[in-house]
Amino acid sequence: MTRNSKTETSAFARITTRREFGLAVLIALITIFVSFFDPRFLDAINLRDILVRCAPTAIVACGMMLVIVTAEIDISVGSLMALTAAAMGIMLSENEWNLSLWIGLPATLMLGTAVGLLTGLLVTVGKVPSIIVTLGLLTALRGFTTLMMGGKNIDGLPPSLQHAAKQGFWGIPLGVWVAACVLVMTLVIIAWTPLGRRIFAFGSSRYAATMCGLSEKPLKLFVFAYTGFLTALATIVDVPRLPTIESGIGLEFELLVVTCVVVGGVSINGGRGTLLGVLLAVVLMTMIRPVLTYLEIGEEAEKWTKAIQGTLIAIAVIGDSLLRRRRRGGPRS
Amino acid sequence: MMIHSQATQSDRLLLRIDRINKAYGGVQALQDVSFEVGRGEVHALCGENGAGKSTLIKLLTGVTRPDSGSLVMNQGALPVGNVRGCEAAGIAVLHQESTAFPDLNAIDNIFVGRELRAAGGFLLARDAMRREAAELLEQLGESIDLTVPLGQLPLAQRQMVSMARAMSCQCQLFIMDEPTASLSAQESQKMLMLVNQLKEQGISILYVSHRLEEIFQVADAVTVLRDGQYVATHAVEDLDDRKLIQLMVGRELDELTVRQTISQPKSDETQKPSTLKVDQLSRQGIFQDVSFSIAAGEIVGMAGLVGAGRSEIARAIFGIDSYDEGTVEVNGEILPSGSVARAKHVGMAMVPEDRQHEGLVLPMSVQNNLTLANLRDLQDFGWLSQTRERGQAKRLIADLDIRVTDPRLPVETLSGGNQQKVVIGKWLASMPNLLILDEPTRGVDVAAKAQVHRLIRELADEGMATLMISSELSEILTLSDRILVIHQGRIAAEFEGATATQEQLLHAALVGSAP
Repeated sequence: MTRNSKTETSAFARITTRREFGLAVLIALITIFVSFFDPRFLDAINLRDILVRCAPTAIVACGMMLVIVTAEIDISVGSLMALTAAAMGIMLSENEWNLSLWIGLPATLMLGTAVGLLTGLLVTVGKVPSIIVTLGLLTALRGFTTLMMGGKNIDGLPPSLQHAAKQGFWGIPLGVWVAACVLVMTLVIIAWTPLGRRIFAFGSSRYAATMCGLSEKPLKLFVFAYTGFLTALATIVDVPRLPTIESGIGLEFELLVVTCVVVGGVSINGGRGTLLGVLLAVVLMTMIRPVLTYLEIGEEAEKWTKAIQGTLIAIAVIGDSLLRRRRRGGPRS
Repeated sequence: MMIHSQATQSDRLLLRIDRINKAYGGVQALQDVSFEVGRGEVHALCGENGAGKSTLIKLLTGVTRPDSGSLVMNQGALPVGNVRGCEAAGIAVLHQESTAFPDLNAIDNIFVGRELRAAGGFLLARDAMRREAAELLEQLGESIDLTVPLGQLPLAQRQMVSMARAMSCQCQLFIMDEPTASLSAQESQKMLMLVNQLKEQGISILYVSHRLEEIFQVADAVTVLRDGQYVATHAVEDLDDRKLIQLMVGRELDELTVRQTISQPKSDETQKPSTLKVDQLSRQGIFQDVSFSIAAGEIVGMAGLVGAGRSEIARAIFGIDSYDEGTVEVNGEILPSGSVARAKHVGMAMVPEDRQHEGLVLPMSVQNNLTLANLRDLQDFGWLSQTRERGQAKRLIADLDIRVTDPRLPVETLSGGNQQKVVIGKWLASMPNLLILDEPTRGVDVAAKAQVHRLIRELADEGMATLMISSELSEILTLSDRILVIHQGRIAAEFEGATATQEQLLHAALVGSAP
């Protein structure tokens, strides 16, 4: 009978082996390195730029984190972003329906939530694996978007919305404010509500959850609907920064979000992960491109961004797998 | 049939199980089972593998519903099929397999599903939960780090958390399913002390266990089930080891079991060379110092309780799992640990316990399944020969009498008995000289079972060395020349197949030594 002595490791060891620590250290090191190279990296303008870029990813990652914790996945968020962008554009643009912000924005949010609910229903009631459902939606939603836009781009969004997205309030763009609120809200859900606890419980052991009488439907419907809502929200605060709305918006966005969640330490098998880790991963992933620009790697930067992101996800997944095997111990003892 | 006299008085009666029937896919797991559990009573539930104990637990905890019959607790019917309802009615359970959430800490494990709430029910009352969790664990005499995910704690502590959860439910009936199965002697004693503690608090315990010494130490009454049927309930003072085992095995059998005369097992004692020689095989925590040999033409049966380690020993011999110490030798050649390829190469074959997941590729055709173990023999210059494949399949189907209309049909369409024959056939095609069988007739109908038994005997007569693991004592006694009984990873006893009795085998399996 082997006694597991993991609980006797020092506090130092326990902090330094955590994913969040590694990510924080990595971010710090990169920042220090780049600012030696070019001190302008630390300018307020640049930092604000990085934060704004992080915002939509961080917002959607909050929802995606919960989805992955329940051992599901949603790879349709990029297409949903395009759909909600097109819908928002059509509703609010002065060249189209020109509705008031008070109608257009809530309607966009409802559209995102509705698609999320649909996904959740297909997974729980339809019993279709989430990878299949969201793979289908990935294509279907993109197709819908192209139809809706009828081959033209949309511009003419209300100037107030554009200003809020680009400059914001007190020098901080709308996206950053909203991202902060979403992070706090998600933290409360995870740490302080029964719902959050049950989401993690379900992901940790579906068998034990059934033995406790927990039902999967409300949990999974929530996580998918939440993600849909957050995708629409991210669209609202980010898309108005662009000059026009094209049907290619959000392409490969889902890959970025899932990457951030997994690199942030959320296990793809469910049940484990922290919001802090996800946030750090979002910052790390987002800063790669600007960092490469400041290092004057030029046009090559685009290709290297993807390569580096890919390497990070590989390290994250393999590392998680190895740690998992050690942590869970050997046979069922 | 004696009923424990205390329980029949209604104020002392906590639970009445009345004429319960439950079938699972054609198998009658429980048949007309009735008995009673009194208040503040430690009531042991005994029976061999497959007696129906797990099914009964599932019914009492609301995981499934009975087909007929009733469960009455405190004069009120239990909300059958409703997990939370049964929990609310006062039934708690400590499962055999951990039902802990490995990624959540002790506090959450205790409270998930019944969280303490604050702020109008929306938020968790985290401090209150932490305090109560600490209190409960203190009562159990444990100091556990409440922040650590449960998966990182040793099993004994995980079980304590499960117990704490049960206690926080204010239960009246606590079901304990093999609670000491993976515990050390010291931890087991502590568990028994807790059982007494709970009893003093007026909680009734339904103690499901194979450890007879514990039952005699802590139980007030014992109920025995056999093959899904109720046998008897006795006060523990009226029983001893022998009587209890007799109840579990059945009185209808003679002292000497009836052996079907398919072919008499070898009675000549000429020293045949060993086909298989296992020496001091050990794997930490699973099995220890296993040594035995099997000669050509000999059938060695391996009996023991579920979890004793029989399948694990077989898998280690065949190379599926590796082992820490010891050697496996086949026809004089020592095999490396953990290599199925080498095992196959020297002529070993293994028919696994779980044929559906480990023995067959269900969506694949019968024909393709039959040739999976010796594809190499059916090649022409690296290309698989369809003709030879078909031919081999046809031969095996004829030889083993596999009932299938078209060998190209997926093997999942076959009945259990025929599926088992496919698995056996597949391995026979590889021309082994040592055949390992793990539960060869589980879920197989009577006719096919007889055919399989005959086949095993015929193979042995032709020189096949056979190791047969079975939980069916009659099957072991029918076929084996020699019988090894495994208890907690060690060989507890060895018997001659011709003279052993079911009682002797069960005694050795339960207690760990020959009677």
